[in-house]
Amino acid sequence: MKQTPLFLFLVALAASAGKAADGCLECHAALGDTPSKLFLRDIHHANGIPCSGCHGGDATSSDMEQAMSTKAGFVGRPVGDSVSVVCARCHSSGEEMKHLHSSIPVGQFELLQQSVHGKRGTDGRSRIAQCTTCHGAHGIAAVNDPRSPVHPRNLVTTCSRCHSDATYMRSYNPALPVDQREKYMTSVHGKRNAAGDSRAAECASCHGSHDILPVKDVRSAVYPTNIPRTCAKCHSDAALMKAYGIPTDQYERYAKSVHGVALLERNDLGAPACNSCHGNHGATPPGVASISKVCGTCHALNSELFSASPHKKAFDALRVPECESCHGNHGIMAASAALIGTEEGTTCVRCHKDGSAAYVAAGTMRRMLDSLESEETRAKSLVEDAEQKGMEVSEAKFRLREIRQARLESRTTVHAFDQAKLTGVAAKGIAVAGWVSAEGERAIDDYYFRRVGLGVSTLIITILAVTLYLYIRRIEKADRRQKTTTT
Amino acid sequence: MQGVSPNMERTSKRDFLKLLLGGGGLAWLAAVVYPVLAYLKPPVQGEVEVTSVKVGPLSGIEKNSGTIVRFGTKPVLLIRTAAGELRALSATCTHLDCTVQYRKDLEAIWCACHNGTYDLNGRNISGPPPRPLEQYRVVLQGEDVYLSKNA
Amino acid sequence: MKGIGQKLYHWLDERVHLDQLVEFMDKKSVPMHRGSIWYYFGGVSLFLFIVQVVTGILLLLYYKGSEQLAFESIQFLMSKVSFGWLVRSVHSWSANLFVLSAMIHMFSVFFERAYRFPRELTWLTGMFMFFLALGFGFSGYLLPWNELALFATKVGTEIVGVVPGIGKPLMILLRGGPEVSGATLSRFFGFHVAVLPGIFVVLLTIHLLLVQRQGMSYPLRKEEERESLKTIPFFPNFLLRDLLLWLVVLNVLAILAVFFPWELGRKADAFAPAPAGIRPEWYFLFMFQTLKVFPAKVWAIDGDVLGVGLFALAGILWTLVPFWDRKSRHGEKGRLLTWTGIGVVLYILVLTVIGWLA
Repeated sequence: MKQTPLFLFLVALAASAGKAADGCLECHAALGDTPSKLFLRDIHHANGIPCSGCHGGDATSSDMEQAMSTKAGFVGRPVGDSVSVVCARCHSSGEEMKHLHSSIPVGQFELLQQSVHGKRGTDGRSRIAQCTTCHGAHGIAAVNDPRSPVHPRNLVTTCSRCHSDATYMRSYNPALPVDQREKYMTSVHGKRNAAGDSRAAECASCHGSHDILPVKDVRSAVYPTNIPRTCAKCHSDAALMKAYGIPTDQYERYAKSVHGVALLERNDLGAPACNSCHGNHGATPPGVASISKVCGTCHALNSELFSASPHKKAFDALRVPECESCHGNHGIMAASAALIGTEEGTTCVRCHKDGSAAYVAAGTMRRMLDSLESEETRAKSLVEDAEQKGMEVSEAKFRLREIRQARLESRTTVHAFDQAKLTGVAAKGIAVAGWVSAEGERAIDDYYFRRVGLGVSTLIITILAVTLYLYIRRIEKADRRQKTTTT
Repeated sequence: MQGVSPNMERTSKRDFLKLLLGGGGLAWLAAVVYPVLAYLKPPVQGEVEVTSVKVGPLSGIEKNSGTIVRFGTKPVLLIRTAAGELRALSATCTHLDCTVQYRKDLEAIWCACHNGTYDLNGRNISGPPPRPLEQYRVVLQGEDVYLSKNA
Repeated sequence: MKGIGQKLYHWLDERVHLDQLVEFMDKKSVPMHRGSIWYYFGGVSLFLFIVQVVTGILLLLYYKGSEQLAFESIQFLMSKVSFGWLVRSVHSWSANLFVLSAMIHMFSVFFERAYRFPRELTWLTGMFMFFLALGFGFSGYLLPWNELALFATKVGTEIVGVVPGIGKPLMILLRGGPEVSGATLSRFFGFHVAVLPGIFVVLLTIHLLLVQRQGMSYPLRKEEERESLKTIPFFPNFLLRDLLLWLVVLNVLAILAVFFPWELGRKADAFAPAPAGIRPEWYFLFMFQTLKVFPAKVWAIDGDVLGVGLFALAGILWTLVPFWDRKSRHGEKGRLLTWTGIGVVLYILVLTVIGWLA
């Protein structure tokens, strides 16, 4: 070792520079091993913690046997789960951290144990990940230090070490994708991250760090019902988003929208969260021409009809976003017929001028939807009234479904923007509504008929009873007279 | 008229009373007989809708088709597969209660509201529906198809 | 009109010699006194029974007595058949009024001691008809096959089963099996429309014939004054009064049917838990409530068995009252018996009210 004397000198220099004595490092640096080289830049070393802080042993002694004796607590190279136990000895102790003047939180090891990475690995002997797996072993830097493997700019690479390794991931969950990094790089977050922006979202921003849980776990930050809040952590932060010029009202609007209410209040997992429309790792707002397709994954019929309608070409040419123009994006409310028509506030009049064929068609279609809706309301209230009165209207009630179905169908058919088509669907509904209303009216009429009938028959009976009474009285009068005349 | 004997007065009263009695009696009889006769007349819908619903002859149901049948208060989708088998499933989507339909092209059941799909056993295979469709029993008695609740 | 009537009468008379019958009927009279009002209740009960038979026959034309069809057939009847709602509600209300009227009739006869010699048979046939009426009510209640009926029948037949020895076989006979099922419905339907009416009509005929043959019973205290009591002829006076009352009762039934239509409830489901508030019809309520408050065990005897046994004993004693009430035979109204009767009425009233409010 040609450098030995030089190293010894440097170490002696370092030692004399006032740092706490680290006998282990002195020797091992002289030996020229990599861990020592790395350790020189380690944050623990900067805070005066010797090698023995993790490895045990006596750092003050320069005698190897004494320094590395088990009596002095030397554990050698920790293997498997004992690695994290070593870290946890300080990092899970609030007292220790205070003693070392550190403000780092102390729950990491516990969280790791309960996380998905805390499960047993394929060797069956130790956890999938130890502290050192992500943080490194000897050159550990603070999280906000650009040299740290868990610094935002480096984190993606660190996670990809395993998560982009198809062979490795296959041994745990063959169904898990391994293209997250690729996708991420196409996303807005990924592009900014690659450009050096450490405020852009990376793996830990959404998945967490120590407490990572599988997506299917309800407690996971990326479980569908939790995703909106996770995204909102940054996207509702006005100060943060100002630099990017992105509005911060999405979560608020979404929470009030049909989708938000369905997902967040009713726990309907069929409803979209942020990632359903924007993507997960490849998160990018959908392009103007593709919005209909994105919405169409669930609203298939509406999307198909729209794409075949004259609006598709027109919207694309004008670079107007498809579904969004009429329905909004984050704050989508339940659609109503009020969106269509020729009044102020409808979307049609934004482009179609008074007198044009489309203007007329819009008015007609709106009137048709309105009349279907009013017929439905009328039918419903008549049936309800009859039921309240105790009349039997189960068949009429059943057919109310048909009217509802026609209403849903016509609202969907509207997206073809074809008056004839809409007429076909709406007319069916109106016809059934007519039948149901008639049944309801019939039942209500019957209710009153019964009372009238009772009145009539009571009248007849009363007349008959009174007559009978008078007749009886007359007979008895006659009897009495007969008796008096005979006696 | 002066000098009318009390007997004559009583006679006319008597006749009036008897008339009223007879008339009242007839009216009463009519008020009883009319409802009874109306009751005896069989209503338009001759048979009572029963727990087992008769759909009709098998020959009237095309292969690879589906129709909605009323079963009490619920809609039931009756399907005849391309192979000729009969299936009956609840027609109410388990997501948000829309009425589902049979898709010839998919040979599966589809809900137009949010693109949910079920297979021919009613299992929810794609889209938002959280639960499968309830199954009903289809029985062939001679040439006629009957639906009943799954035991 | 009169001419045709005369001709018809003459034609029959030639063949059957109606003279004697007419003469006899002409003589029949009804004493008018303070207690005369009670005489009407026999007639009202008869009228209500006739209403039951007529509406029952009409219902038979649309009712289907099987487990799958019973409930729906009544739903159909109530909604699609013209005046079906009326026939059904009248039948249900009339059933209750019939039992009430029969009870009033029975108690009035009891308090007036009208069962005494020579009318013991009349009392016996009447008592058996009363038990049959309860049977009509119990069997008819099940026929709509709704939730309440199913559970009420379960409880009712269960009580039959507690009788030692013959109880269980009797229960199985009633139920058509170990549990209340479609078989029970079939049996009850058969009882309700064939067996019970058949026996009832026979007893009724005997009862009416006896009443006609023996005439109306005179109140005990007025025996000495029998001759001086005012009477009215049965035909046509009393009969017309009867008819008047029947007309009013008919109107009452119509009013009840329109303003208080009989409920149908939910279809019976053997697997569903018992709905809250099941209880038998009001005329069984006092017995039901009594069994409820009976201790579970009295000495070594099971509370239910004791309760049923006591009711059976009471029923037998009550039925045989003409034979052990010596006093009335000699024209005396025994004070003890009167007070016993009052006690029974109060007991029934109080326990029915408690059972209803519970």
